[in-house]
Amino acid sequence: MPKYIRRSLFSLPIEDPRLGEKSYAAWADAIILDFVKQPGRDWQQDLKSRMPAAIHEAAKGGAEVFVRINSDASAAELESTVFCGISGVVLKGVNGPGDINNASQCLDVLEKSRGITGGSLEIDVEVNTAAGVWNSLEIARASQRFGTFTVNEHELCRNLGMFPGPVLEFEPLEYIKSQLITVATSVGGQAQGMSYPLSLTQENAGDEEFGKAVRRARDTGFKGAVCPHASWIKVCNEGFRPSSEEVSYYLKVREVFAEGLKRGMASVPIDGKMIDVPVDLRARLYLEWADRAQARDAEKAQAHEKPAA
Amino acid sequence: MTENINPRRSWMILPAHDPAGVMRYQEFKPDVVVLDLEYSVPPKSKEVARAGLGTLVRKVGAGQAEVFVRIDRETRWADVGAAMHRGIKGIVFPGPEEPGEVAELGELIAAMEKARGVDPGITELVLMLESAKGFWNAASLAQASPRVTALGVGRIDLTMRLGRVPQGEFRLYRFLMTRTLVAARMLDKQPLGAFWRPGSRGGVASREITVKAAREAMLMGFTGCLCATAEQVVSVNAGFTSA
Repeated sequence: MPKYIRRSLFSLPIEDPRLGEKSYAAWADAIILDFVKQPGRDWQQDLKSRMPAAIHEAAKGGAEVFVRINSDASAAELESTVFCGISGVVLKGVNGPGDINNASQCLDVLEKSRGITGGSLEIDVEVNTAAGVWNSLEIARASQRFGTFTVNEHELCRNLGMFPGPVLEFEPLEYIKSQLITVATSVGGQAQGMSYPLSLTQENAGDEEFGKAVRRARDTGFKGAVCPHASWIKVCNEGFRPSSEEVSYYLKVREVFAEGLKRGMASVPIDGKMIDVPVDLRARLYLEWADRAQARDAEKAQAHEKPAA
Repeated sequence: MTENINPRRSWMILPAHDPAGVMRYQEFKPDVVVLDLEYSVPPKSKEVARAGLGTLVRKVGAGQAEVFVRIDRETRWADVGAAMHRGIKGIVFPGPEEPGEVAELGELIAAMEKARGVDPGITELVLMLESAKGFWNAASLAQASPRVTALGVGRIDLTMRLGRVPQGEFRLYRFLMTRTLVAARMLDKQPLGAFWRPGSRGGVASREITVKAAREAMLMGFTGCLCATAEQVVSVNAGFTSA
């Protein structure tokens, strides 16, 4: 069961004059705001003056809003970008738990000074270095604010000296992804990522091929993905949740198993498969997951009842 | 057009008890010559191998290849004592498990550098990980001595006591390769290893399989590997050369 229904994450620059329009049209579960430090200007003052409006624009389609922060300059960047309306920050370039502690301490202060509920802002970690992978458990355990790991495969491969492309017969980051999913889940969080090779090629595959890739990512343990194109969002929203076939099947499982229990049976057959307590438990979890995804879609639909502009 | 951006792709293992055989390295042009004191040397020839190392290090070191000596974990103290001569580039240490072992070897090398007139601090240590404990401790092993310049993947199937593994599928190997790569890259060490298939590594790997194993390793971030046979050198160099 995912901690968050955050199936699609879409990055947009705050400088984009069509930020609100694009966020509204995207239907992403989360928008990650990026910014550029303009040379020759007081970038902190510049950002401070623009962020509240940018956050408001990004949230128009009902998405959660995050800001991507560089770990090596986190204090100044957090001070310039953290305002009411964001759910948290995506911290990039994290090498160890100290980076999380530093960011968390800054957030403590900013929450207090900017009227944000104490401890509410999440720290999500974009893993793009070998040290981030090696120290993932310590990183995830460093703060209660930790929410998710996101695998930035391009930058991670570069940092590891990899040139995988789409030519390998196996998933090059299989074990790294497995580790990050396991670690994030172990502290009550979750991980976001895509399956190979689309995770690296990031191409606009057709819906059918991309749907299969999302399904592989979901079945690996990822609960969502960062979408490089708006065209990925719909498929991610539909794929990182139980399918309608799974919902039908698990409804049947729950019903048949409940009847079996009433008859004093510990297991019952459905279509040649044995249904027992663990299967019934999985059915319950999948159905809850499907309900939460549906509720999230309803929230976004409600947001879309208001016009974008 | 190809470009070799990595000068240490092929690490050719040559039994140190056979000086004439060692000098055949020139025919194969490996990037690194690894004079072996480990399992390619029969037990009865170990002393002969140690006694001849000084001459071999000087002769090979005068050529284009860099010279390393692979020691035996069980006799590492005597082996390092025999290996340290001017011209040696470093020591290949197979099967380290605890940081203390690496630190101790680093100190022994320092003492031998002083005793043999080798410039202090220049002798490198290459760690070949072979055991569960070694793989788990990869990062702390690499940090145990400033001499460590490379982390490699050794004889996993043997030392992990895996027994028979499915042909073409060796997932534990990929996991351990990944772990080694992450530790090496994190600490700025050279990652060594190739994606060998079960039953087709070492002396029985064909040219085609060797090129593929090296090419996949390069794509996965590795920069070179040991060559168990002379014939592998050209394939490993090809596989690890960027297109």
